[in-house]
Amino acid sequence: MPDEAQDAHTDLSAAENADRTGRRRVLGRFASFLMVSGLAAGYGMFAALIGRFLYPNRDFSGVWQFVTDLGGFPVGQSLLFRSPRGQQVVISRLKDDGNAGDFVALSSICPHLGCQVHWESQNDRFFCPCHNGAFDAAGQPLSGPPKDDNQPLPQFPLKVENNLLFIQAGTDRLA
Amino acid sequence: MNGVRNWIQERIPVSGVELAEVTNEPVPNHLRRWWFCLGGTPAYLFVVQIVTGILLAVYYQPSPETAYESVRRITEEVNYGWYIRSVHKWAATLMIASVILHQMRVYFTGAYRRPREINWMIGMCLLLCTLLIGFTGYSLVFEQLSYWGATVAANICDMIPFVGRLAKQLLLAGDEYNENTVPRFYILHAAILPATMILLLVVHIALIRMHGVSELKFEDETDDGPGHYDFFPDHFYTELIIGLVLMILLSVLATVFPAIMGPRADPLTTPEVIKPEWFFYATFRWLKLFSGTFAVLSMGFIVFVMFTWPFIDTLLRRVTRIEEISVWIGIVGVFLLVALTTWEALVPH
Repeated sequence: MPDEAQDAHTDLSAAENADRTGRRRVLGRFASFLMVSGLAAGYGMFAALIGRFLYPNRDFSGVWQFVTDLGGFPVGQSLLFRSPRGQQVVISRLKDDGNAGDFVALSSICPHLGCQVHWESQNDRFFCPCHNGAFDAAGQPLSGPPKDDNQPLPQFPLKVENNLLFIQAGTDRLA
Repeated sequence: MNGVRNWIQERIPVSGVELAEVTNEPVPNHLRRWWFCLGGTPAYLFVVQIVTGILLAVYYQPSPETAYESVRRITEEVNYGWYIRSVHKWAATLMIASVILHQMRVYFTGAYRRPREINWMIGMCLLLCTLLIGFTGYSLVFEQLSYWGATVAANICDMIPFVGRLAKQLLLAGDEYNENTVPRFYILHAAILPATMILLLVVHIALIRMHGVSELKFEDETDDGPGHYDFFPDHFYTELIIGLVLMILLSVLATVFPAIMGPRADPLTTPEVIKPEWFFYATFRWLKLFSGTFAVLSMGFIVFVMFTWPFIDTLLRRVTRIEEISVWIGIVGVFLLVALTTWEALVPH
């Protein structure tokens, strides 16, 4: 039997032989392509899953919290709001339009690299001890890197609903 | 005895002669000078860090609620905990110092030039890994410095164009420091960075072995006599002595200046005077001098120039025809680094 098979093989014309080899090469390449694509798809999917797994899906924007009734908060006054996290926020009323634009609630987080600023009464300014950023009482940059980039102190989001003032701030306390 | 040897030989078919041939690297004569041991020193200290790090991990608890208390227990209650922690801290300091000095030595002797450009770049990766592992290390204590250091670093990431925000979120596990932040720093510090460094070290040393150590000739050396000596036992003994000296030095430093506890992290108050560890003084000062965007982008540019320095150096030498141009640039660079570091060290703000 093997002899016959070999005979049959050698009987093939050179052209047919070349055709078969060519076909085999194409099939081989196709198989390799399938193999590589399968691996790439499999590991790619795994990598994508890892990426999604590592990417935090928690919302850090904080929750809306009640501050006060607008009626008891006249223009020109300030009040101190203490968030459940322990942040102390000074909220000032500058106008009497009855909307969130009336109020300013300065955050104490430096817009440069996120350290906490503190009020220096002797210099009449907020000062960031990390990289020497300074801000005036309205939160406008006076000197240091925030001045170079013209970054004022950020403000807490505020909203007015049914004549009540709300602030959006974090609630969870870190240890 | 022969039976045992044959038994082992049959299962591990490597002969002593072959092993000696592979490991017995010819060491150039200039390595007899002690200040050429600066490559081996961080490697030795890295092993010390792995050993003491594993020991500290036995008691350390990586979460904001428990991290500070567990480090305090290691420092104040666990038997010899103060010693292990102090050795870990001092070995980190010496490791960073010796890596910087090693890089300066390689730079000023031009040992990064063809064909060793790739190994210089691997060395740069090792430098960055060493700085990162130092930074993530002190972030784990959950002291004030740990918390504010991590916050500042994450916000530096945030300034990188395009990928910054993602990098910050992945590092902090969110937009701000939260209960999942400490575990991420711990995994970086104790798993990802050390594993990366081991891989890089293997390639770094393999490439040194393949190229051979770049050779230097000193004026007082004569041309006659062999230019090399054996790694084993001559150079091995040198390394052994360095290891012993380092262990004594670490023990003395750990005993005289033990690691202490700073104030616990307080997310609501940044301390009036705050500084990172000494190896970030220069960058910290840089951040005070310029606007955030410029400071971060320029630091990125400096790191990029350092990475590609072997190629820039070749180009500069071709254009300027000054053979020692890298030395002059290096002197300016070192002067700037020392000046910024000293400046930051001397003033409170």
